[in-house]
Amino acid sequence: MKDMMPNFNLVQPSDVESAANILAEAGENGWAMAGGQDSLDWFKDRIKRPTTVVDLSGIEALTGIREMADGGVEIGAMTTLTDVENNAVIKEKFGLLASAEARVASPQIRNKGTLGGNISQDARCWYYRSGIDCYRAGGTTCYADTPEGMNREHCLFGASRCVAVSPSDTAIALTSLDASMVIQNSSGETVVAAADYFIGPAIDIENMTILKPGDILTAIRIPATWAGADFYFEKIADRNTWDFALVNIATAMKMNGNIIEDIRITCGAVECVPKRLNVVEDIVRGSERNEDTANLGAGAAARGAVPLNYNHFKIPLMENLVRKALRG
Amino acid sequence: MQKKFSSDRFDPLSTVRDALSRRHFIKGVIAAGTVAGAAGLVTGCSDSSDSSGGAAGSVERLITVNVNGKARPVDVMPNETLAHTLRNKLGLTGTKIGCDRGSCGACTVMIDGVTNNSCSVLTHTLRGANVITVEGVGGANGELHPIQQAMIEELAPQCGFCTPGQVVSGVSLLQRNPNPTREEVRYALAGNLCRCGAYNNYVDAIVKAAGSA
Amino acid sequence: MAEKLMGKNFTPQDVRAKVTGTGKYTEDFRVDGMCYVKMLNCPMPSANVTIVDTSEALAMDGVLGILTSDDVPPNPAPGFPILSNEPRQLGQPILAIAAETESIAAEALEKVKLTYEAQPFSLDPLQSLYPGGPDALTEGNFVKSRSESPVSHKWSARDFAVAGEENMPMGEPGMEWNVGDVDAAFTDAAYVIDESFVVASSTHQALEPRSTLSYWENGKCFIYGSSQSQSWMMPGLASMMQVPLSDIVYIAEFCGGGFGAKASPYPTMGIPAYMSKKINRPCMLRITRAEEYHIGGSRPGFQGQLKVGFDKAGKVTAIDCYIVQSNGPNNGSGDYSAAAGALALVYTPTNMRFRGMPVFTNKPYIISQRGPGQNQIACIMEPFMDRAAKQLGIDRIMIREINAPDHDVVFSNRKSTVTSSYLRDALIMGSEKFNWKEKIKLSGKRNGTKVIGIGVGQAYHSAGSNGFDGLVTIRPDGKLYIHSGVGNLGTYSYASASRIAAETLGCSWENTVIERGDSRRGLPWVLAQFGSNTTFTTTRTNFAAANAAKDKLKEIAAMDLGGTAEDYEVDNETVFLKSDPAKVMTFAQAATRAIELGGVYDGHEYPDDLHDVTKAAMAHVQGVGLVGVSKDKMPKEGSVPALATGYAMIEVDTETGKYEILEYTSTVDCGTVMHPQSLDQQIRGGGVMGMGMASTDRMVYDPQNGLCATVGLYQTKAPSILDVPSTMDVGAVDKPDPQSPAGVKGVGEPVMGCAAAAILSAIADATGTNFNRTPVDPDMIVNAMAGRPQSYKPLQVNI
Repeated sequence: MKDMMPNFNLVQPSDVESAANILAEAGENGWAMAGGQDSLDWFKDRIKRPTTVVDLSGIEALTGIREMADGGVEIGAMTTLTDVENNAVIKEKFGLLASAEARVASPQIRNKGTLGGNISQDARCWYYRSGIDCYRAGGTTCYADTPEGMNREHCLFGASRCVAVSPSDTAIALTSLDASMVIQNSSGETVVAAADYFIGPAIDIENMTILKPGDILTAIRIPATWAGADFYFEKIADRNTWDFALVNIATAMKMNGNIIEDIRITCGAVECVPKRLNVVEDIVRGSERNEDTANLGAGAAARGAVPLNYNHFKIPLMENLVRKALRG
Repeated sequence: MQKKFSSDRFDPLSTVRDALSRRHFIKGVIAAGTVAGAAGLVTGCSDSSDSSGGAAGSVERLITVNVNGKARPVDVMPNETLAHTLRNKLGLTGTKIGCDRGSCGACTVMIDGVTNNSCSVLTHTLRGANVITVEGVGGANGELHPIQQAMIEELAPQCGFCTPGQVVSGVSLLQRNPNPTREEVRYALAGNLCRCGAYNNYVDAIVKAAGSA
Repeated sequence: MAEKLMGKNFTPQDVRAKVTGTGKYTEDFRVDGMCYVKMLNCPMPSANVTIVDTSEALAMDGVLGILTSDDVPPNPAPGFPILSNEPRQLGQPILAIAAETESIAAEALEKVKLTYEAQPFSLDPLQSLYPGGPDALTEGNFVKSRSESPVSHKWSARDFAVAGEENMPMGEPGMEWNVGDVDAAFTDAAYVIDESFVVASSTHQALEPRSTLSYWENGKCFIYGSSQSQSWMMPGLASMMQVPLSDIVYIAEFCGGGFGAKASPYPTMGIPAYMSKKINRPCMLRITRAEEYHIGGSRPGFQGQLKVGFDKAGKVTAIDCYIVQSNGPNNGSGDYSAAAGALALVYTPTNMRFRGMPVFTNKPYIISQRGPGQNQIACIMEPFMDRAAKQLGIDRIMIREINAPDHDVVFSNRKSTVTSSYLRDALIMGSEKFNWKEKIKLSGKRNGTKVIGIGVGQAYHSAGSNGFDGLVTIRPDGKLYIHSGVGNLGTYSYASASRIAAETLGCSWENTVIERGDSRRGLPWVLAQFGSNTTFTTTRTNFAAANAAKDKLKEIAAMDLGGTAEDYEVDNETVFLKSDPAKVMTFAQAATRAIELGGVYDGHEYPDDLHDVTKAAMAHVQGVGLVGVSKDKMPKEGSVPALATGYAMIEVDTETGKYEILEYTSTVDCGTVMHPQSLDQQIRGGGVMGMGMASTDRMVYDPQNGLCATVGLYQTKAPSILDVPSTMDVGAVDKPDPQSPAGVKGVGEPVMGCAAAAILSAIADATGTNFNRTPVDPDMIVNAMAGRPQSYKPLQVNI
């Protein structure tokens, strides 16, 4: 009985204020749709059933990439992944994000899917997606975190009843670039750091971002801080296209000669949020970039991991990816 | 640290012992399904049907869709995908639905020159954009596109179900990059699954067409 | 001289429709008054269902009717009914609703009130075989033969205890055979491997879901389906719909892939057909991708123990193999038995014991997939061959040559023979093409964290049958019509196997028409398009029909132009007197005369030994021209082996568990090459599928509640274009099989198995790890390279 969407009212505002007002009015029954690549799946599964769907694709102010005075960029949340990937400024200054975009899903999805949508997509835990009453769906059980749960793709860190992971490739790049997110609702605009935008189950088990009903992510700002830095992105997935990461990594490094002056390391698919590896950063900052440093950093990468039955391979995989990134 | 590894004894009986608790679990699943249905009723969204139309504030259903160079007026439901509109309302069944989830690319069309999975686009979001389907890639008098001709010569299709999508992805590539390398062709086709595994042949054909186009 | 068609490239008639999108697959048909049907699928692995109340659903505007198990014929266990209130697998259809639109049907299904009484279920055969373990069916977990009822078959706790954790428990088998003295042979062997293994179940993942359109007209049941086969479908559909053969019209011009899962009629075909009968409207049942995973069948998984003994020279002297096969809740397939046959033929063991135990599980019903059984066992046995070669100091190609079967091979308990075997030639050709001697020097070569692995794989499938019917007509328009009962599964065998008829009758290909895809076109009885048999089977039937037509051409010419039939020859679309070619009749003239003559000449009379399907087809061709119809009565002895070899060079990143296939070569023994382009295409396509089988194809079930984790293409992970090499080198031995009039054999199945085996062989070579498991995922390689335990138990399944 799947694959037939229930009906809904589709509203197509042309400005953010109208969109915010409609969503505020609709409350829990509203749904802000960006590129629709995740939204339509939920509708077709007849699991998420909003009555009012607000199509954000007609709001021109939400697309485009603007250079900012400080040398950073502001990317409209509705800019497609392809447009971000092919943007000259992004390629030149923030190649880390372009590399991440290139590994998202498939060309067709990158052509339609948006940066805002990609970082705000919902958990890919297959139990949750099957529509059962797990914690994330408002129930009182986690089916993945059981002795027999099939949890190969699930988390190593930060479990709190739910063990789903952050599925986004771009989210880890943006985290390593110290990006911030611009959120608008009917009462105004707020700007939050990436670290605050993504939230784990301990904070809100039903949402992976701080977006509340009525909120619209309007833009992503990347400061100049890491422009032109030494970047490393790698995504390990079963398939080389249209797959979610088993583990991915995005690092930004400022080098002084062969000394790592400053660094950001973020891993995905190991926690419900992008996992910033502050400890590894602290260990390697100021060190020479070589095999010894790489091994030292790698050894600390997965400290504190609490593996499930089928995902403990993510520990060596994470360590190895950190090693690769640091080794360069 | 690790909860359970292969050192654990194989104990089929544990599952047998769990049969009773499993039964309770399953009832939970079904109850949840019922709740979802009930929630739908409360919000009214499952009351609607194809005959109901959108409520106040929603989109107009009668719109014009530009497909293969023609303006086509069509009655479109708010929740209707482009693949559905093309196949069931405009008679363009060359666009195939392999998964309806953007996972296979059989429904690939060009929207303003860019490939999209038409199963994952609401028709109402087109807003006058130009849609090109496999029926529209050839010449005005039915001439084949060089990619189509090359696919015939290379015997690229096997079962043929993914072929329209492969053609459209190839045409879109040549429009933006008339002389792609083999690697570039592979990346352009990366969203088009072929279970018959005819990938080599599709790439051969597009490389050949690029050379002759 | 007749135009030589066999062995040459040509463009099959349906390719253009595929590249233009005009080819009509089931969902592309529209019929006046067509409504839509949607199914209610069981949300748990086993349940007893009570339909409590359908009134609210049926009261909805636009709802046209409901179909329940009461409306369709029963099919007692272990048959697979069309609809059932006792579903024994996740997703099994319980009921269906017809409505004006699919949206309405979907909503109506949500309003149906049912209760589910959950039943114990089994997803793991070993669990089911354990004392007290759950049986998948109410009646049991095993059936000895299709005609018997299921029984509950258990092993003793001692069987399990003796085996321990690593090895396969081996209780009383469902099937056993012995050749020679295995125990003595193992005692004498220079090297013995004896280990347990797992081959995972996998789904076919054809890109076109198996939708069906059906309506009734003048008492006839019209069915438009997605099937690999055409005429083969007819008796099964007639039986399913409980009507005479002549009342079934079956249309299947195009099929978006089947790989075994659409070879025969499937239960959901009956849903729109019975619904249409009930509500008197044309009914379209579109199958969704998620539904396809449940009701589309799957390849059975194996859990087993394989013990192989070698002498010093590398000859396999003994094989002892035990396979437990995971069936669905239905009859299943003979994969386990076919696997034994493959071991017996490809490695020619002098002594062999085989034990097999098929067990019902509450998983998708089992249906053969490309290389059923043979491909699974190739994935396990080929890496064993490598280990023996290394242990005994023999080249890995050489050890395969040493064991390869000759033409006079006698194998298995049935003392089977083959029509021809050029496996050794394929090995020599392939290893030269691949440049094995140089490549093997790169084995284990490290480049940073990456290491090279070299692999080789072989696979076999019995690929040919006989005794079916051929039918051709020559019509007053002067053209030859080849009536093909073959389905269009994408291999183009319907076309290439037809060409022998044109060649035999001296007819140009331009003047040849293939009639196919619609039973009203007069399509004769042939075997299903499974098992790579079509090439062998239907070149014979088409040859037989062409010869029947040839005889009639000569007889008509002799009648009108004098002399006897033997004095005439047929060529260039004419029949002429050998001694005086000026005495000639064109095909058009002969066809007109045949119609005048009637009787055997225009198909009003025909041999009695034809199959009922062919006899029913005759009604559509009688009087259209000269009719050549015949059963294939040419002698055939032995199995028709399709044999394939694959060679892979991969580079494994020991830190990520990912590998790149740098090179892949595959060479085959398929007899004479019939159609070079489609052969190349089959080898490459099978190679891609094999690469998926070895690596990422997944079918994951939660053992606690029987839910399936893999119901989308991004979850089951068929290989994408970026997961396979950009080019592949292919070749064929191209030596004729003596029992085919064209020298041809099929080869579509083993080209998958040899690729999977070659990749697994290369992974073992690069990593030095014996996984004894298919597929090998990146996480397994990461764990192995990091020296960590794997997350699964040795014989665990559904992961």
